[in-house]
Amino acid sequence: MREQPSGLKTWIFTTDHKKIAVLYLITACVFFFVGLLLATVMRTDQLFPAGSKFLNGELYNVVFTIHGAAMVLFWMIPVLLGFFGNLLIPLMIGARDVAFPRLNALSFWFYLGAGIIAVLGLLLPGRLDFGWTGYPPLSVITNTNTALYVFAVHLLGASSIAGSVNLITTIVTMRAPGMTWGRLNLAVWGIMGASIIQIIGIPVLAAAVTLLLFDKYLGTHFYDASMGGSALLYQNLFWFYAHPAVYVVALPVFGIVSEIISTFSRKPIFGYISMVIAIMVITVLGFEVWIHHLYVAGTANWARVLFMWGTILIGVPTGIKVFNWLATLHKGSIEFSTPMLHALGFISLFTIGGVTGIANGLLGIDIQVHDTHWVVAHFHYVLALSMSMLAIGGIYFWFPKFTGRMCSERLGKIAFWLTIIGALVAFAPQFYLGVKGVPRRYWIIPAEYAGYMRIGSIFSYIAITGFLLSLINFLYSAINGERAPSNPWNSKSLEWQIPSPAPFYNFDKIPVITEGPYEYGKPQGKES
Amino acid sequence: MRKSSLFFAAILIMAALMPASAFAKMTNPVDAWNRHFDTWLVVAVVVWLVVTVPMLYFLVKYRRSSRDEDGVYIKGNTGLEILWTAVPTIIIALLGVQSWRVFNTYREVPQDAYEVRVDGFRYGFEMIYPEGIKTINELRVPVGPVKLSLSSRDVIHDFALPGFRIREDMLPGRFTYLWFYADKPGEIRHVYCAELCGPGHSLMQAKLIVMKKEDFNAWVASKKGVEGSASLSQDIRGKELIKQCTGCHSLTGERITGPTFNGLFGRETLLADGTKIAVDEAYIKESIRSPKARIVDGYPPTMPPFNLSDKEVDAIVAYLKEIK
Repeated sequence: MREQPSGLKTWIFTTDHKKIAVLYLITACVFFFVGLLLATVMRTDQLFPAGSKFLNGELYNVVFTIHGAAMVLFWMIPVLLGFFGNLLIPLMIGARDVAFPRLNALSFWFYLGAGIIAVLGLLLPGRLDFGWTGYPPLSVITNTNTALYVFAVHLLGASSIAGSVNLITTIVTMRAPGMTWGRLNLAVWGIMGASIIQIIGIPVLAAAVTLLLFDKYLGTHFYDASMGGSALLYQNLFWFYAHPAVYVVALPVFGIVSEIISTFSRKPIFGYISMVIAIMVITVLGFEVWIHHLYVAGTANWARVLFMWGTILIGVPTGIKVFNWLATLHKGSIEFSTPMLHALGFISLFTIGGVTGIANGLLGIDIQVHDTHWVVAHFHYVLALSMSMLAIGGIYFWFPKFTGRMCSERLGKIAFWLTIIGALVAFAPQFYLGVKGVPRRYWIIPAEYAGYMRIGSIFSYIAITGFLLSLINFLYSAINGERAPSNPWNSKSLEWQIPSPAPFYNFDKIPVITEGPYEYGKPQGKES
Repeated sequence: MRKSSLFFAAILIMAALMPASAFAKMTNPVDAWNRHFDTWLVVAVVVWLVVTVPMLYFLVKYRRSSRDEDGVYIKGNTGLEILWTAVPTIIIALLGVQSWRVFNTYREVPQDAYEVRVDGFRYGFEMIYPEGIKTINELRVPVGPVKLSLSSRDVIHDFALPGFRIREDMLPGRFTYLWFYADKPGEIRHVYCAELCGPGHSLMQAKLIVMKKEDFNAWVASKKGVEGSASLSQDIRGKELIKQCTGCHSLTGERITGPTFNGLFGRETLLADGTKIAVDEAYIKESIRSPKARIVDGYPPTMPPFNLSDKEVDAIVAYLKEIK
């Protein structure tokens, strides 16, 4: 066994998966903070009808561009794959590290570099103001630093591909003896599905933005209709990855919800096999939906109909998961700890986002609500609010394992109630605006709807306060928290059977696995 | 159990095979949309209740009572899992079929539709009527079905017409289309651009005015008369042409994306390169044809060049002199 080195240098040169996970977490939380700050700016702007004085049409576009990029690309995906993926995979499958530790370190530093480029996009003149989607011709013909956008995506893509290859290899080749595919934690399955999407999708995204770079700086015409190119080509290539990217976030989240609900209901997860099948169906079907972003973009009618079926059918495996979670609660022994509250909050927000997502997926309805506030409300419920809440819940859950300290439960619960009360109302008025057809990305909200936006703004402040309290809680408890026992939640999962914080190289002796991670309340002497 | 599932399957197959176009004829898409949305709303509320009510019930009923209590060792139930796979699949399939039909009514344009061409530009809409007349940010149509052929002169825009539950993107270099049934003459509807097109995006709006057939014909005739006559005063022309600028340049003195036109002529202005000028005819003409040549200090260089004839530019200059 190697000795664990110490000092600040070890953080920079570390190849330990737990340390890299923590680096990912800290960086992602900084971007979460930036994203929340920019959200506050927009929400404050919307308090004033006809636009406020401290933003203008140009600056507003910059703010929502960086808000979107920071939240999706630099908070959600990195916290779920970078942090949870790195922390959990080796601990849950009984390995001492990931398959390629140095590649893992490289992934993190690429991610940090991409993040710095993105921040430069906010600060340097020629600020990025074309939305996080970067549609041409707008991103080509204007004077913005499109190159920064492209390089940030390239670097982040390289980071994600390296990270995903690493995680998949680790899961396939480094499982402890007895850790069969049927005994893997659902979090491992979720991260596996997400990593598969990453390595299939990201090269296509990289191609899309590379052509953007060529068009803007080298005089090519891939997206220039006047020279025989097509602006829609970009949208197709972009969403081929960027829609499945939603499932890159969702699949690990689904896994983590299962871990938390099973642990705090003290019951095996209901329908393990159907949970795994649902994850894998979403992984595949996720690539059959992207045209729904082009429902009103002059796409061929047959393509719109075909992709409608793919889109709404995603509701089926998702529904299976929700019903299985409910069935897990049934006849459980439910403890309302902070992580559990966050998981339950996730289900209630996710259900709202899910049913409204069906409306978006239905071609006949979407033709009215496409690119309106409806879409904004929908994806904030289904992705932004619910999954951020769950990521926070997951951090609460595994906090003792990677810091060796307990989080303040009291502060955690206050933060939860603020977040859920704020989140439930913050975007609800925007569904109404959407049905009325009010377009999104408007700096000036039409006067008759200003009152609705104001209600949303006020509740968004409450939700943001909740999120910030949680971040403060993490910071405070990492230094001052009580020392954690090795298994504070009394979980059956493998990562809780070793000391807290998890020791360097995780396991003294590679364990031999004899049963699955959810065997709560198992009658004595019964075979699993 | 088996009988009822066969019954469901039969309905499903019949629904899927029915020619959607048979229903599309003579339907106003607005009514179809409203019905479709209501159906979805009922389903959504039911699904939400089916998830939320049991969840709250379980949370109350199965609270942990003692520290070491375990839940009941249940690992699944194949029948239940099949049930909540099959039922959502059927519901979603039925919604999908309904949506497909609504979509077909949207895409099948009636033969007798009045057709207008609309060009999007940053930041406005130009309507080009079959009679050869043009309007900016104001679309007048006769009662009845109307087809719009959409295109763009610069970036991607979107012609969103919420009152008629319809929208479609406007793309450079190709035409897209939409149609709606214009009922209720006299009503004015909002048109929005719904695809991010730059700093002036939220100002890119227009009005749709539905007119009785005879009123519309009279309007077309009067418009044609004015456009055709040589006596059209520069003032009236300028007032019409200026509409393509007011998305970014206010007439009231308010600061939006670009400098205001209010009191523009003769104004002492600081340029981005540090020089000071008084705005004159030459500067206005240059700013229309090559906007980036001399930028006003504190404003983004985002204006695209406008390709107008000398006469049109003269009309605009004449009109600008008036605005104080």
